[in-house]
Amino acid sequence: MRGIGRKVWAIPGGHIPMGSAEPEPEFTSRDELCLLNTNEQLAHLEITIYYSSTDPVGPYKLTVQPRRVRHVRLNDLIDPQAMPLDTPYASVIESDVPIVVQFYRLDSRRAENAILGTMAYPVDE
Amino acid sequence: MREWVNWSGSLRFTPERIETPDSEQALVALVQRAAEQGRAVRVVGKGHSSSPLVQTDDILVSLEKLQGMESHDTAAHEATIRAGMTLQDAGEALLKVGLAVPNLGDVNVQQVVGAISTGTHGTGRELPCLSTMLVGGRMVTGTGEVVEFSEQTPDLLRAARVSLGVVGIVTSLRLRLLPAYQLHRQEWCTDVRHCLDHLDELINRNRNFDFYWYPRSDEVKLRTLNPSGEEPGDLSYATLVEDHTDWASRIISKVREIKFDEMEYGVPEEAGAECFLQVRRRMKDKYRQYVGWRLLYRTVAPDDAYLSMAYGRETATVSVHQNVGLPYGDFFRGIEPILRDHEGRPHWGKKHTLRAEDLRPLYPRWEQFLQVRQRTDPQGVFLTPYLRELLGVPISEQARAAAPAGR
Repeated sequence: MRGIGRKVWAIPGGHIPMGSAEPEPEFTSRDELCLLNTNEQLAHLEITIYYSSTDPVGPYKLTVQPRRVRHVRLNDLIDPQAMPLDTPYASVIESDVPIVVQFYRLDSRRAENAILGTMAYPVDE
Repeated sequence: MREWVNWSGSLRFTPERIETPDSEQALVALVQRAAEQGRAVRVVGKGHSSSPLVQTDDILVSLEKLQGMESHDTAAHEATIRAGMTLQDAGEALLKVGLAVPNLGDVNVQQVVGAISTGTHGTGRELPCLSTMLVGGRMVTGTGEVVEFSEQTPDLLRAARVSLGVVGIVTSLRLRLLPAYQLHRQEWCTDVRHCLDHLDELINRNRNFDFYWYPRSDEVKLRTLNPSGEEPGDLSYATLVEDHTDWASRIISKVREIKFDEMEYGVPEEAGAECFLQVRRRMKDKYRQYVGWRLLYRTVAPDDAYLSMAYGRETATVSVHQNVGLPYGDFFRGIEPILRDHEGRPHWGKKHTLRAEDLRPLYPRWEQFLQVRQRTDPQGVFLTPYLRELLGVPISEQARAAAPAGR
């Protein structure tokens, strides 16, 4: 299959919830990227995180294997810096091949606001 | 004058000058001049420590030009190396002559002498800190004399093994080693409950065992290293995620591109699991918002170096980390009381807040160490204000009189 998607994606509404329900890691509150690479080659990604009152941080470098999906918890990223929880942020994902990016949030503190999922914004170049 | 910066960037200072003597004789001359002029000399390795052991506004000495192996005896499992060699370079040089160090820490970028002098360790219930492989060598004392030390000078050897660079500047190290060997490294993911339920057997049945705990997910990664064919078998409660075999000098340590600051304490091994659980609880309750770095839990065999973290006791170590560039002070200060409550002794090269009055009760041979230091450096050439405070050594009238005005 040809590579579908875009090379640049943006997600403005990041906010990793602070608290979590047990047991973890299944119910760890989190922001998560669902990354689809339908290409025949490895996708190299660079993520930049934007904040409301401090300079952007990045790049967080990831790869997605050819013709695979990869789910990445943003909570777990530590290189170059751990992202603060309970802090508004936005992410821009740049890839060297077209990919598809979906955003997923689990807030396990209360059932009423447990899950949110949305497509990231695909940027036309 | 140029600024000196340690590996993580959290320690910066500007010494009056940085010297790189290319021979032991040049170092002797340097120390003698410094002693005559009442100056302070601090020796620095690769700058991997983040406590201010090397910080000085006077003379900083690097032994980076003292490279190479002086001699080896493969049959006797010994080699003598010069003090500027890194663990990585020494590992490759030793491998060529069929030898290897008994253990390594998490990284191998440090100079051998720096790792030894700060009590750096790896993991393994039967494996003491790296300092114990030092069985002899030569050092330049604070009076500028070259002194040989060995198992025939046990007092000096036990002080030199974890010396913080205040007993003398070691120029040559005779190391007790092992025949070159390979290890099978495996890494497994599981959860805290399974890790702790099996902790004793994991420690007892593997040559090297440690685990990482991840504060943002509460997951655990187990790491085991064993000679091929001596692995205890698969772990039904964990998922294997890494599996390869290589020479020990190439596989025990890992390359770490990412930089961090670290605090580590050694506690009695029987208190290790409870200590870990309390640290975990506090990190989840108070610090998870800003701390994503994992905690590392290791074990160290006892030894008899006067200032060793594992002096006289089976030890478990708990270390916490923070990304360079993110604040660590509040986090480390919030965790340190738990580590101290468990009779913890700090890693000398990592962050801690203890001073002589806190440290003296933790080390049964504290006074013996200070006596050796007084003999080898009576004028305190190797001491700085931080080290005097750390060790509880007041400035002597002799040193005060010898010091240049303003120092």
